[in-house]
Amino acid sequence: MSVGYRAVQWSRPKRLYDACAAGAMLAYLALFVGAGKLLWTGQRSISDEVLLIRATGSGALAMLHVLLVIGPLARLTPRALPLLFNRRHLGVMTFALAALHGTLVVGYYHGFGAVNPIRSLLVNNTRFDSLRAFPFELLGFAALLVMFVMAATSHDFWLKNLGAAAWKRLHMLVYPAYALLVGHVALGAVQSPRAWPAAAALAAGAACVTGFHLAAGWRSRGQDRAAPVADGWLDAGPAAEIPLDRARLVCAPGGGERIAVFRHAGGISAVTNVCAHQGGPLGEGRVIDGCITCPWHGWQYRPEDGCAPPPFKEKIPTHQVRIVAGRVRIDPRPLPPGTATPPARETSGA
Amino acid sequence: MTVADAVILFAALYASIGVGFAMLFVARGVGRVDPVARSAGVGFRLVILPGAAVLWPVLLRLWWRSSRRAPA
Ligand code: HEM
Ligand code: FES
Repeated sequence: MSVGYRAVQWSRPKRLYDACAAGAMLAYLALFVGAGKLLWTGQRSISDEVLLIRATGSGALAMLHVLLVIGPLARLTPRALPLLFNRRHLGVMTFALAALHGTLVVGYYHGFGAVNPIRSLLVNNTRFDSLRAFPFELLGFAALLVMFVMAATSHDFWLKNLGAAAWKRLHMLVYPAYALLVGHVALGAVQSPRAWPAAAALAAGAACVTGFHLAAGWRSRGQDRAAPVADGWLDAGPAAEIPLDRARLVCAPGGGERIAVFRHAGGISAVTNVCAHQGGPLGEGRVIDGCITCPWHGWQYRPEDGCAPPPFKEKIPTHQVRIVAGRVRIDPRPLPPGTATPPARETSGA
Repeated sequence: MTVADAVILFAALYASIGVGFAMLFVARGVGRVDPVARSAGVGFRLVILPGAAVLWPVLLRLWWRSSRRAPA
């Protein structure tokens, strides 16, 4: 569903999303600065620069937590899907705030001197062997570099020209970056007195991220039917158990992509579970207006031939389906993308 | 030269080549590599620029390949 490229693909919902995210970000910064002014007084008072450094750093890390939780949350409940479709814009905003934090630090702690501030960041502290004096700033710097690469490659142009698989691998670097940041904040907290609130918030956040990922993984394992093999085809269970306009997921033996088996208008159709756009889980979507609709960004395909409705040209692989004694049978070998294959009628086969 | 100096020198070299390449790439290369980008405006080209400066070795390969496929 590609027409020409634009700098930012904004639509009304995306503008609303971005406005909400930016508003929440500014509100957080204002609250943090306000609370900091009230709490850190007298002996514990800190300069405005340090207050801003803390506000931007903790704000960026909080946004990163939201980003990391959106994916698994959307697999657990469809109500979280509105958060997912514009996650990339949120990612770029997170990078911008993190870059502000890094710039403030480099300017404030490393800027006043004849030394190149980046060089100062690198050589200032090289006590890599010490937990109590570890150069935690370098961990933040490395994470910021990774976030920069992800933000810089977030446009659809990169997705298309690097290829979906390579792009996805690149953007999976968010997990190592997150680990670096956990180190950045934890080791930074070791070095400053009274940093336990930051450390405690981080521990709670990390527990949240891990918990949601484990829960989503556990849930999607439960959805897969083992699909025992009968005459080379897979058994996908009773046809009557598939909810109308929804899918059941089936695992092909020996790995391979999962297959989404949809029931629509009295017929059963099977397509790959992988969306042609960014590999979204089609089997978690619904049939809307006669088309399987990807839960991630709403690309659509007809169940009977895996083709997007005109004028769009995207195609996904389909699978042959039969109903034998009320049970769905699927041919695990995918047909070429866009191949029409008649839906199995629930009344005919039995 | 210390390790830090070597790292900085390498990063500076890589980035300078990258920025130079990226300017050429967004002006001429994008349209070759991806025909959809041929008619794109300045905003799109600027958005692509930082990524092109980082991933220039990848894009150089794509550009070179596309120029061999369709000379013109
Ligand atoms: C060039 C890169 C970075 C440098 C040099 C850097 C440096 C620092 C420094 C010096 C502090 C201690 C501030 C203080 O309390 O005086 C700090 C704290 C922090 N940084 Fe970074 N950082 C970088 C990147 C990042 C990134 C990318 C993130 C997150 C996305 C981040 C998140 C935080 C957090 C959450 C804190 C703790 C704030 C608090 O105590 O409330 N930093 N960083
Ligand atoms: S992954 Fe984007 S629409 Fe399916």
